[in-house]
Amino acid sequence: MQSFTRWAAALGLALWSGAPYAAPPPPLPADHLTQEALPARGPHWVYVVDYAFDNEIDTRVHLYDGDSHRRLGQIDTGFLPGFALAPDGRMSAVATTYFARGGHGVRTDVVEFTDTATLATASEIVLPPKRLQAVPTLFNVAYGSDGRFLYVSYVTPAASFGVLDPVKGAVLAEIDTAGCVLVIPSGPNRVSSLCESGRLLTVTLDAQGHEAARSMSAPFFDADRDPVFVQGVRTARGFAFLSFLGEVHEVDLSGAEPVFAPPWPLLGPAEHAWRPGGSQVGAIHLTLGRLYVPMHRGGEGTHKDGGSEIWVYDLAAHKRVARWALKAAGLKAVVAVEVSQDAAPVLFAATDAAELAIIDAATGHIRHVEKHLGQTPWQLLTP
Amino acid sequence: MRALDRLFEESCRSLASRTSRRSLLGMLGQALTGAALLPLLPVDRGSRAQAADAKPRKLGPEDCDYWKYCAIDGFLCSCCGGTSTSCPPGTGSSPITWVGTCHNPGDGRDYIVSYNDCCGKTSCGTCDCNRNEREKPIYRPSRNNDLNWCMANANANYHCTVSVIVGVAEK
Repeated sequence: MQSFTRWAAALGLALWSGAPYAAPPPPLPADHLTQEALPARGPHWVYVVDYAFDNEIDTRVHLYDGDSHRRLGQIDTGFLPGFALAPDGRMSAVATTYFARGGHGVRTDVVEFTDTATLATASEIVLPPKRLQAVPTLFNVAYGSDGRFLYVSYVTPAASFGVLDPVKGAVLAEIDTAGCVLVIPSGPNRVSSLCESGRLLTVTLDAQGHEAARSMSAPFFDADRDPVFVQGVRTARGFAFLSFLGEVHEVDLSGAEPVFAPPWPLLGPAEHAWRPGGSQVGAIHLTLGRLYVPMHRGGEGTHKDGGSEIWVYDLAAHKRVARWALKAAGLKAVVAVEVSQDAAPVLFAATDAAELAIIDAATGHIRHVEKHLGQTPWQLLTP
Repeated sequence: MRALDRLFEESCRSLASRTSRRSLLGMLGQALTGAALLPLLPVDRGSRAQAADAKPRKLGPEDCDYWKYCAIDGFLCSCCGGTSTSCPPGTGSSPITWVGTCHNPGDGRDYIVSYNDCCGKTSCGTCDCNRNEREKPIYRPSRNNDLNWCMANANANYHCTVSVIVGVAEK
């Protein structure tokens, strides 16, 4: 206490000796509580689907801007959701489940529509309690190309799908898929499903959303020898399905029947220790014709392991054009990738440590790493 | 003026040393320094050498690497109030499951293991175990662990997963 007295005396002496005196600043003005509006859509926005694995009844989608590095807002998505964006980008659809008492109680399966300009919930359609509850893919819930129909996968575990009319707010039909799963949309009124036999079942709908025709393709993969990931990647004319061992199966869905291109390998002759893996195993920039795949060293059972590198391919030439060693750059294992479709694209990469990396899609340069973007971000969608 | 500087410096040091945050940091610093020095003290390292030669610890049902968990992706019920073969109190087991084929190093046999989910409460959130040997995508549901196998329960919420031996796998 004695030394404090001496310190105060010294301070008083300093003031007395002519040190300048600063008047206290004026008080802050009163704040005005306002409502933030979503800005106009940027070229590098991304929806980050957080499956919140430690508390799965409380999943959510974060809207994030890869340019300003800010979280812009959130869509609540319930329990093990499917997430889709309407073809015109104005609405998002979340197929999900709620329990009446939080973690328990009466189960309600529902599709909730959110206005993507405001992030306000717009409407809903209650489903029969059959909705597929599984990890994310583009095909848990999906729009037809003109947005008139919305398809929802059902698994009870018997497999079927619902045809919904988002404008009328109604379930129009349920289509039995005979053991084939997921809703892979093509055109305004066709839905394909993946079968254990390695075939695609394709159902064509009439104007009322009821089944008009169905066909079964020849097998295009072998589920025993080398299964394909169900996390398909959108191409210009359909989807590409990567296999556990690194084959690329491109499926053209632009016609009435699917057309399968000969598969081509991600791996070179001396690279069989490498495999694709994760929860969203590829992204394609449509006009640049580039495919981005998270790759890791691993064997049997590692198909959900994230990538230590991103391998970049020329889709037309079937050739790798780059390897980006992201782990060596400090990033954790990449489990999900998506790329913006603009002329100066960024690659978004979510890791198993809930990081979101913003990467120059031309050079592989990591521009920014957002830490703790949710809990388990397993899927990314660009508008 | 130098006397005034020294007076001010001494006063600041005295005041700073008595503030709680600095004191805490000081104590932590002393503790860390002490901890860093500990390995330098003369001790008998024979016991450590013996430990290195000992067999590795036997894996048990709370270890993700336990042999029965070869195709699991979920929370181990043995960490959530249950065991590797019983659901925690207040939850219910799923009647439908996926199966795996796991090798038991203890007897050299392969076993068919049923992975039943325990249902009715939200995620246990402890002992997340993600192994996927011979696991297949959901177009082969009997071998798929991405589905919520509580889907057909009266309460379909997922809590954790047990691993029940069904029998020896035929070669």
